[in-house]
Amino acid sequence: MLTVKNLTHWYGKSEKPLYENVNLSFESDKVYTIVGSSGSGKTTFLSFIAGLDKPQKGDIFLDGTNIKKLGATNYRKHKVAIVFQQYNLLTYMSALDNIMTALSVTDSEHKGEKQYALDALKNVGIEKSDAEKNVQKLSGGQQQRVAIIRAMLVDANIVIADEPTGNLDGENSKMIIKLFQDLAHAHHKTVIIVTHDPEIADHGDVKISLENCQFVVA
Amino acid sequence: MNYLKRAMLYLTHKKGQSLLLLLIMSAILVFVLSGLIIQNAAVSATNSVTKSAGTTISVSANRNKMFSKMRSGTSKSKPKTITTPTVSNEKIKKAGKLNTVAYYNITNTASVNASSFDTVSTSTGTSGGGMGMKGGASAGDISIDGVSSTKLTSAFVSKTNKIVSGRNITTSDVNTKNVVIEKELATQNGIKVGDSMTVKMTSSGKKSLKLKVVGIYKAKSTSSSVPGSDPSNTIYTSYTLPATITGTEGKSSTVTYILENSAKEKATTKKIKRIINNSSFSVSSDDASYKQLLQPMKNVQSFAKKIVWLVAIAGTIILALIIILSVRTRQREIGVLVSLGESKFHIVAQLFSELFVILIGAMVVALLLGSFVGNKVGNQLLSQQQTTSVSTTSGSNGGPGGSGAPGSSQTGGGMRGGMATQSAGTTSAANKKTLKTLNTSITPSSVIKLGGMGLVIIALAVCVSAISILRLRPKDILIGE
Ligand SMILES: Nc1ncnc2c1ncn2[C@@H]1O[C@H](COP(=O)(O)OP(=O)(O)OP(=O)(O)O)[C@@H](O)[C@H]1O
Ligand SMILES: [Mg+2]
Repeated sequence: MLTVKNLTHWYGKSEKPLYENVNLSFESDKVYTIVGSSGSGKTTFLSFIAGLDKPQKGDIFLDGTNIKKLGATNYRKHKVAIVFQQYNLLTYMSALDNIMTALSVTDSEHKGEKQYALDALKNVGIEKSDAEKNVQKLSGGQQQRVAIIRAMLVDANIVIADEPTGNLDGENSKMIIKLFQDLAHAHHKTVIIVTHDPEIADHGDVKISLENCQFVVA
Repeated sequence: MNYLKRAMLYLTHKKGQSLLLLLIMSAILVFVLSGLIIQNAAVSATNSVTKSAGTTISVSANRNKMFSKMRSGTSKSKPKTITTPTVSNEKIKKAGKLNTVAYYNITNTASVNASSFDTVSTSTGTSGGGMGMKGGASAGDISIDGVSSTKLTSAFVSKTNKIVSGRNITTSDVNTKNVVIEKELATQNGIKVGDSMTVKMTSSGKKSLKLKVVGIYKAKSTSSSVPGSDPSNTIYTSYTLPATITGTEGKSSTVTYILENSAKEKATTKKIKRIINNSSFSVSSDDASYKQLLQPMKNVQSFAKKIVWLVAIAGTIILALIIILSVRTRQREIGVLVSLGESKFHIVAQLFSELFVILIGAMVVALLLGSFVGNKVGNQLLSQQQTTSVSTTSGSNGGPGGSGAPGSSQTGGGMRGGMATQSAGTTSAANKKTLKTLNTSITPSSVIKLGGMGLVIIALAVCVSAISILRLRPKDILIGE
């Protein structure tokens, strides 16, 4: 369980904080979707729970332990997997090598198991021949699937995604939604997705909207 | 998939960029290597000059002592003749066997009168006057210069005299009457190699000596500093003959020892002094000219050192800038790794590994090109240095002769000048061989130095760019689109 306590954040000397005293909890086996207007601070919020940045005030706890105590690098390495809108992959290697890199860097259980990675990629329609090509030769949708598979295969229990379908068509978006649901329901992870896409927002288990500096759980 | 594998994947994927970096690094290393090669070559050339050319130690009559003896002689009623002090050949040989001595040259002189031939006279009048002035019982019109070997004699070493037919006088001519005469003297009297000629002693009942001509030399300068004696009238023999003529068999008056290694100059001088053990002799070393010859080497050495440093610093700056730029274009890639939880240390290590692989490639290129470039640059440098040093040498030699200070006689000045030229001549010719070319081969130590320099350069460059990696805030890497 990921818990956000009394989180307050503002940038620089801006007169008004992005949000004050946010208290939220995220459980495993669930897909959370966060919606909100542009500039409301969604990405900023994700960067805190992903351990990429620190809020001005407040704490984040993972199963009762403050993530400050875990250390940001350690937290990212073992606890959280991140999927961005684009540029998720190392461009100088194949899809397979990207996954192998992630397994190795995160010291995951399935580290070094090529076949395991290939099977997972095949499940999302990426055949071996595609998996061994340089990732830049894959389509945007394929690349995004690789990034999600990567989040799936590493040991991290929390998967955070920032507009993962941002530049994908409807067909691809549907496939991605399905994958995120799998992550939560079949792989027992906590999935937190920021999105503009109402299709995705409605397919989450819990929908949170960020309006007027408030997180409102629907 | 650790950072080493990632580095290899990166290099093979970005072939063009890797190749470009390889070329830049190779260029830097070629310069560093040529600097190292030149430096190395200059150092070893300096050492070999120090070893081979060496210092000369001359054992000759102690002039002060001779003159004071002469003065004390004149105070008594009977005028004494100045006898040149001699030392036994055994002692000379014993000193010559010191292992720091490379070789030595014994010199004895005597004066005789031409008998079966005519002397060469330079100009009218002067010749006669000179003879008259010299006068006395001991002066003749032919000077016999006895040496161990003409090859080692300064006039021949400096190429003032040159054998044009026949052979040199060597140590095998000891106790013979074999001679080498000047070309002019030979032509004037129709003497050829293999012919005989007779001279008459100036004392000892004017005994005749039959000399056998084994070689003919040509003297470059026909003018002499001592009026009245034409250099053509100098006959070279083995050092034993003048001793026989002056009645000092088994003894000699002057020896020059040439050292194997100039570094041993002081110790050897001491040892020779102890062996000669005669206060009438002065044992003195002369390494001024050798030091002067080393100057071009030293200049090349320090220049090479500057090249190495300059290129290393410039190379570090260039590489660091390139790497910093490439790190900027690699922000996303770094961001992906950071978001996966890769430590920044490993990211820097990957960068270093990539550069290390390129460094190895660049080393190979540099080693292939470096010896070529080093060779060209090094010898160019050396020839430039030599021209300047030659002009300074001649300048300084002219000095003492010309600057015969007011009061001192013209001849005195001339003599000192002549002596300076002579002593310089003994060493410089030997050096010329070693100084002409630099041995610019690549030694294992220069390869190690190059590798070390390369490592330091990439380490510094990576460190500088690491600062920019470490300063990247993870969120900015990913979100700052
Ligand atoms: N590093 C920063 N320094 C200063 N201000 C920032 C920084 N990052 C974001 N902001 C500001 O904070 C606000 C929230 O930004 P954020 O990127 O979190 O919005 P968002 O909800 O993700 O918007 P979008 O839907 O367009 O992605 C914006 O007004 C933005 O200008
Ligand atoms: Mg955003």
